[in-house]
Amino acid sequence: MRVEGQCHCGEISFSAEIDPEQVILCHCTDCQVLSGSPFREIAVAPIDSFVLNGTPKAYVKVAASGNRRAQMFCPNCATPLYACAEENPTSVTLRLGCVKQRPMLKPSKEVWPQSALPWVRAHDLLHS
Amino acid sequence: MNVHGSCHCGAIAFEATVDPERTVICHCNACQVLTGTAYRVTVPAKAEDFRLLRGTPRIYVKVADSGNRRANAFCGDCGSPLYSHDAVDQPTRYGLRVGTLRERRDLVPRKRIWCEAALEWTESLDGMAKADRE
Repeated sequence: MRVEGQCHCGEISFSAEIDPEQVILCHCTDCQVLSGSPFREIAVAPIDSFVLNGTPKAYVKVAASGNRRAQMFCPNCATPLYACAEENPTSVTLRLGCVKQRPMLKPSKEVWPQSALPWVRAHDLLHS
Repeated sequence: MNVHGSCHCGAIAFEATVDPERTVICHCNACQVLTGTAYRVTVPAKAEDFRLLRGTPRIYVKVADSGNRRANAFCGDCGSPLYSHDAVDQPTRYGLRVGTLRERRDLVPRKRIWCEAALEWTESLDGMAKADRE
């Protein structure tokens, strides 16, 4: 499925191919802080399907494992756009909040449930 | 309740006193875009109860359909959304982004606003007060 994303101020836009059956909620604490929200909604797209307009800013997050991920955001309005490997990325992980087709996308999997905020689990987002 | 906020890279830190009962989920489209996720969770703090401890946030002024001008503060280095306030010289209230607060596990939303824009799958957040707009 082809999806299009754009930051709030409109300086940066992208399009990419994702599998709508593979939409994920990430409950890790990094995603909580970097979104300012309880979890992040994401989908992975192959790099060869990814078309970018504009110049995002990169924040390189170093995981406990030593893994280095470039977190790309709009330097003007701070909209989180995608993340990818710092060097030679083969895929991009899209932040779905800025994706136009988001009303059609439903998460099918949760990761890092051990750090999920208790009330999010209590309301059982995915299994209603 | 005292809360402590910081961006991911640590350049900016703040603290505040809040009423956790006033924690709100906002489903509006701007909050979806600016968080990169399904909705935002915010808790308000009065200006006299808010202290910026370290760093200088960048500001993005969002103009609502109503003409309301809202300053969205974020870290220019790591992009973490921090808080918002009316785009005036002396704001009276801050809306803290709960994801950046150390005490976020204890801030349970009591109300949902802008439900007319809510993503359908978030409707399982039942048992909470709902408002179509604010």
